[in-house]
Amino acid sequence: MRERWQRLRQHQGAVASLFLLPAGFGFAIFYLWPSLRALYMSFTDYSLLRGEGELVGLQNYEDMIADPLFWQSMRVTGLYVLINIVVQTILALLIAVMMDRLTRSVIIRGILVLPWLIPQVVVGLLWLWMLDPRLGVVNHLLNVVGIGSQGFLGSPDQVVPSLAGINTWRFVGYTALLLFAGLQMIPKHLYESAALDGAGEIRMFFRVTLPLLRPVLALVLVLSVVGSFQVFDLVQVATGGIGGQPGGPADSSLVIYVYIFRQAFNFNNAGYAAAMSAVLAVLLALVTVLIMRGLRGSRSDLA
Amino acid sequence: MSSTTKTSPVRPGASKAGGEAGRLLARLRLSRGFAWLVLFVIILVTLFPFFWILRTALTTNSSLFTGDQSMLPPEPTLVNFRRVLGLATDEEVRAAGGSGAELRFWLYLRNSVVFSTLVTVGQVTSCAMAAYAFARLKWRGRDAVFYVFLSSLMVPPVFILIPNFILLSDLDLLDTFAGLVAPFIFMTPFMVFFLRQFFLGISSELEEAARLDGAGHVRIFARICVPVMAAPLTTAAILAYVIAWNEFMWPLVAGNDPSVRVLTVGLSVFRSGQPQAAPDWSGLMAATVLGALPVILLFLLMGRRIVDSIQFTGIK
Amino acid sequence: MQLRRARPAVAPLCTAALVLTAACGGGSGSDDDVTLAYWLWDDRQIAQYQQCADDFTAETGVEVDISQYGWEDYWSNLNTQFAARRAPDVFTNHLAFYPQFVANEVILPIDEYIEQDEVDLGQYFPGLADLWVGQDDQRYGLPKDWDTIAYGYNAEYLEDAGLTEDDLWNATWDPSDGGTFEEIIASLSVDVNGVRGNEPGFDADNVAVFGLSFDNPSNSASGQTSWGNFAHSLGFELLADGNPWGTDYQFDDPRLAETLDWFGRMIEAGYVTPLSDLQGVGYVSLFEAGDVALAINGSWAIGSLTGIDGIEVGFAPLPEGPQGRWSIYNGIADSIAVNTDHPDEAWQWVKHLGSVECQNIVGEHAVVFPAIPESLEIAEEVRADAGLDVSAYTTYLEEEATFLHPVTTNFDQVTQAVGSAVDEILLGSRPAAEALQEAQEQVDSIMGR
Repeated sequence: MRERWQRLRQHQGAVASLFLLPAGFGFAIFYLWPSLRALYMSFTDYSLLRGEGELVGLQNYEDMIADPLFWQSMRVTGLYVLINIVVQTILALLIAVMMDRLTRSVIIRGILVLPWLIPQVVVGLLWLWMLDPRLGVVNHLLNVVGIGSQGFLGSPDQVVPSLAGINTWRFVGYTALLLFAGLQMIPKHLYESAALDGAGEIRMFFRVTLPLLRPVLALVLVLSVVGSFQVFDLVQVATGGIGGQPGGPADSSLVIYVYIFRQAFNFNNAGYAAAMSAVLAVLLALVTVLIMRGLRGSRSDLA
Repeated sequence: MSSTTKTSPVRPGASKAGGEAGRLLARLRLSRGFAWLVLFVIILVTLFPFFWILRTALTTNSSLFTGDQSMLPPEPTLVNFRRVLGLATDEEVRAAGGSGAELRFWLYLRNSVVFSTLVTVGQVTSCAMAAYAFARLKWRGRDAVFYVFLSSLMVPPVFILIPNFILLSDLDLLDTFAGLVAPFIFMTPFMVFFLRQFFLGISSELEEAARLDGAGHVRIFARICVPVMAAPLTTAAILAYVIAWNEFMWPLVAGNDPSVRVLTVGLSVFRSGQPQAAPDWSGLMAATVLGALPVILLFLLMGRRIVDSIQFTGIK
Repeated sequence: MQLRRARPAVAPLCTAALVLTAACGGGSGSDDDVTLAYWLWDDRQIAQYQQCADDFTAETGVEVDISQYGWEDYWSNLNTQFAARRAPDVFTNHLAFYPQFVANEVILPIDEYIEQDEVDLGQYFPGLADLWVGQDDQRYGLPKDWDTIAYGYNAEYLEDAGLTEDDLWNATWDPSDGGTFEEIIASLSVDVNGVRGNEPGFDADNVAVFGLSFDNPSNSASGQTSWGNFAHSLGFELLADGNPWGTDYQFDDPRLAETLDWFGRMIEAGYVTPLSDLQGVGYVSLFEAGDVALAINGSWAIGSLTGIDGIEVGFAPLPEGPQGRWSIYNGIADSIAVNTDHPDEAWQWVKHLGSVECQNIVGEHAVVFPAIPESLEIAEEVRADAGLDVSAYTTYLEEEATFLHPVTTNFDQVTQAVGSAVDEILLGSRPAAEALQEAQEQVDSIMGR
């Protein structure tokens, strides 16, 4: 028995390596190698223009700790991620359940995912314009209903929530679609028996839906958290106005990836940018592990 | 709408008989009505910006800000669409506030189709195999290897872009489709993660039955898993296609030659050409509509296939 | 380093051969079919340079492949190409970025070529060529166009306020009482009830037309299109140890604080668009919508104000401060990437771009001001034929009232620090002196002082 198990395991290992071959090849060359290079870069004063750099030890990491803009951008990013995840996940879950239990119309599903089909840069410009304090249609409508104009992207207090709102607009349908796909994996008879036990929609959601959705929920949460931490195009385009410096006003929307990008491309400090990326990557990895562990995302109750 | 509408088990008939049923029915109607209202509001908010995209695309730049916020275009025109398609005369282009940039819409469209199709086919095939290994096979170090794969999701794309660019430059593959698809065609961390999470959810009964029948892993993968996973795989394919379609940074730096330039890069001429200048709003929005149309069509055609093409209930 | 020095040494030989035989194969010395990659960012200038390129090809047999990328993508794309040593042979360069290219030795000095071909640097407007001399006393570009700053005004609004063009041309400004300029923007401002800014009962919180607007000032540490020219007319110098290549920025100069405080007061008074409005679609759109009477506007963007339906636009120079009327003076040039395989052809192309022949074509297209006086006349004629008077921009040259755009290392980093301080001042969240003092400390550490 033990022998057979061993053989099976070995056999499965061989099969697995075969199955992993193409993806592993792509991973090693186009992801792992560049990532390791980026990590190495973080210990150098690498410059994109020179295409090289010399080892500087931990200098970049020390600079980072002393850099007020790094901390400012981490704070801004943290706030953005928090608003984004809470609002987007709850809303997406709600929509997914409605797609599942209320209507299965492909048209509605298509409508909700439409914003995701538009490139991020266009989304940023579109909302920059729609939210313009004077000429934007949103403030025009708010004035009509008597709420009055808001600063939105031009106000230091409102800029981050506005960005999170735009991002939610773009991704909530997509996120809901992923969750909806997860909902389809849940056998219908479980709902039927729960209904027979007299469970209402809400109890069914917590007793059947949520536990069985775990692997997909973990996927969605990890993708949203990582994606929100790496928000870039949207902030780059929609803040600072046309022609201004992104991240404004007064650095109130300077998210970490915009700062990383600026260090690499504008300030020509790719080494320093790589160090910040490395810290960000470690942070994201920790959050990912927490989510996967917390939701037991690698195990399914169905399998 | 497909027949799946009827799957909702919480039909009045299914609930317990007696006086409770009436109250339950009333409450259900109320909550369903409320849910519809919420959905309606969400759809409205989702769609409004699209209305604004269309309104802008149908207006000339010079009357964009003088229309006094009217909901409909002050003077509707199709000139912006003709500009994007390269059908407008030079005078029209300049009168509409456009530039002299050459835009070969149909060529770029073809390139986008080739790029996205290659990426989708390659990526979904190889990532499905990898996801099978991560979700359905048992081997030592499986989860650790998976997390290593996943960790590449955490590295900001800029740092992956530059070494890849240098590599493909050394291989002399820039400005070719091979070079353009190379970083995406084998895998993306997202796709491996996505498919693995869905593969975790397959019931193992069928697999075991097949194994008892003496089927090998390749056969189990091809004959059992792939059909069972048809819905997530279709979803994955569409996601891959749309993501590839909207890819910008890599094609911008690696595919400058018109023969491989994709639509997103081609259409970026409608963003501001000068420092501190406003974009060509009307052209940008018309370009957005035309650029997104293929994926919207794809989504509507394939939308029905996404996720509900198979009844999972049949498995268990 | 080695690479960079080696090429120019060989290059003049080849250039000489080119002159003699007109068949020099180029740096790699391979064949006659040389194609140069040339990059620019302004889409409206493609046509004129394509025309120059066609002439160039007809003359030399060297093909030029022009690529345009929007300003937002241009620099990151260029950096990436440099990282792989694939930068375009020749590209349009900007003062804010070129010190980095020099410091990293990725663009070619062209002194030897200039000497070899006896290019007359005196043919350009004074000062333009010198902007492109590095700290190492080597030259990195030939001028091709220049710009100054003036106002675009809404002629109808000016008339409604009972003002004339002469009032604008003769306006004076100082930060204590604002001079006649403050009176002008006050009377041009109108609230939603039709009350003007210089009348009692003006509602500063509900303004329909602002007297003055400009670009988001956070985009440049020079305040090029906002506070910079005003502060200079008080005698303020951005760099204490000279420009180009100074390192001693003086953002803590009280004259700058006075200037920015004045802008802050004007925003509060409702005469100038508030910062939140500058974070939106921008002053050009506000001008188009009729929400702005006067807009500070760079000469490269004349076309954005003149093409608006239903708004008659005029141009006037900036007001005269206690130390005179001044405009920042900026020049664009073409540079050669060090990784080019064809440095000689690349130089020929750069030389052609900076020649009277090509500059006249630039003048005919009248998008920007050419760097050669004779070509500028053509541009002015073309505009005059279109009924457009742009003398507001050229008057500074005649009055010798220009000062050079700062050329320093780390300009972008300085912009980051100062832009944020200026934001705070205009938001009214901090007094100018305090915010600028802090910015100065950051700038000093950026500049290594």
